[in-house]
Amino acid sequence: MRNRFLSAMLLSLFAVPAFAKLQVFACEPEWGALVQELAADKVDVSVATTAFQDVHQIDAKPSLIARVRKADLLVCTGAELEVGWLPQLIRQSGNNKVADGPGNFLAATQITTLEKPAQLDRAAGDVHPEGNPHFQLDPNRVLKIATGLAARLAQLDAANAATYQQRLADFTARWQAAIKRWESRAAPLKGRKILVQHVSWVYLNTWLGLEQIGALEPKPGVPPTSAHLSSLISTAKDENAYAIISAAYQDQKPAKWLSERTGVPVVVLPYTVGGDAGAKDLFGLFDSTIDKLLGAAK
Amino acid sequence: MTLEGLDISILGPAMLAGVIVLSTHVPLGRQVLARGIIFIDLAIAQIAAMGVIAAQFVGVDEHGVGVQIAAALAALAGAALLAWTDRRWPKMQEPFIGTLFVLAATGGLLLLANNPQGGEHLKDLLVGQILWVSYGQLIPAAILSAVLLVIIWLRQGRLAGVLFYALFALAITVSVQLVGVYLVFASLIVPALATSNLSGRRQLTAAYVVGGAGYAAGLVLSAVFDLPSGAMIVWTLAISALAAQLLPAVRDQRAQQVQ
Repeated sequence: MRNRFLSAMLLSLFAVPAFAKLQVFACEPEWGALVQELAADKVDVSVATTAFQDVHQIDAKPSLIARVRKADLLVCTGAELEVGWLPQLIRQSGNNKVADGPGNFLAATQITTLEKPAQLDRAAGDVHPEGNPHFQLDPNRVLKIATGLAARLAQLDAANAATYQQRLADFTARWQAAIKRWESRAAPLKGRKILVQHVSWVYLNTWLGLEQIGALEPKPGVPPTSAHLSSLISTAKDENAYAIISAAYQDQKPAKWLSERTGVPVVVLPYTVGGDAGAKDLFGLFDSTIDKLLGAAK
Repeated sequence: MTLEGLDISILGPAMLAGVIVLSTHVPLGRQVLARGIIFIDLAIAQIAAMGVIAAQFVGVDEHGVGVQIAAALAALAGAALLAWTDRRWPKMQEPFIGTLFVLAATGGLLLLANNPQGGEHLKDLLVGQILWVSYGQLIPAAILSAVLLVIIWLRQGRLAGVLFYALFALAITVSVQLVGVYLVFASLIVPALATSNLSGRRQLTAAYVVGGAGYAAGLVLSAVFDLPSGAMIVWTLAISALAAQLLPAVRDQRAQQVQ
């Protein structure tokens, strides 16, 4: 009797992995939110960064390595955005499941990126060979990524495949309706001229038809020159700029400086999920972004 | 509080990196403190970083051994310059070091301003994070540290002029890439400071114990409280140094010196 009890206990120990939830490690909040939309309580999601962090560089904490170690699926942006820390993190975790193959999902592989250099000529500027990685603010690309991600979830967790496909269908319907709503609300923004703090808004601009006429810090990490700033002030005045766009995680000093000299208002956008009170999920992120852009007109 | 990061395979390489850095920095730190030039490590690290940027400027590949050679050469050139100023104007050494530090830091910015490749990754090249250390990185660092230790041992700890500055430059160039500039500074200064009232072998042993305890406690606490490891270790090194003052062995010696 006792033996049977013990062997049942042992069996149940081995049986646990079959019921264990898929462990997902998301590099950025937007992909954590997308996994949440597609999988809800079928998976455990752990997000590495917050909306108030610069995801180019993060501080190394032991828990990050531990979380990657137990992950079944890694959902990150790719296109070299996390090049400063993700390779080290995967290497230190020693988790081959997520190093490449099905356990490694890079959103950039699902879409075409903008600003991808036609040829790799390193003299042409600060070149990202895989294009601009800040594509979370284009809802059409987000939908493509969602489709690819749902398929990947189904592949890794066949038991819940039907749930993922059904939730994707539901998400797609709601998302497409939302895109129509956002596009009609944002129609007045078309052709408006904006200045940006960093060049990380190209996808939003392309989607909404905003025209970027200048950037405060065209090279990340390198302070702008005085000639650049004075030309920016005259551009802003001459071309009747609509707003200066800054992200929640950025220091707003440069944007405020330019605003004081030109009278053009600063608009701080959430940039990703969690970047402001409204951006609680992916839908809220776009609602809030468009609200704030429209608010600058008043 | 979380225990998931409390894993020897996560913290092990970091601890080993700490031991390697301490092995050379404890004896060098005594000299730095004795000479009163405590900011020399920051200056050398910044000069090495500027060497990397300059190498990039003339077309050396961002990855690979060329960068390491550029960093080491720049650090050695900076060390040679400082050895010369030390001989020429010994009373002015600290201001020279400070001036060299800001020149190297801003020189890098000036070089990057017109560098078409920009420099977002370059500037971080010499700023290591202790948790990202791999065994592959530790092997060359361990070999170089062993060579430096043999030289220090052969000279019985008495390092003069150019030899001191050259050894120091090489040790810093390696350690900054492993653990970052905050930990390099703390590893160099804090154990030496905590044991400044001891001398000879006793001081060396006590400084190693203070440093080792600081690294071990910092790694464990950063795992338990889920905090960045490098910053945590700087604080536990300081706490370890303070705790050492409670030991009679350290205190008695101090009392004797005061008398």
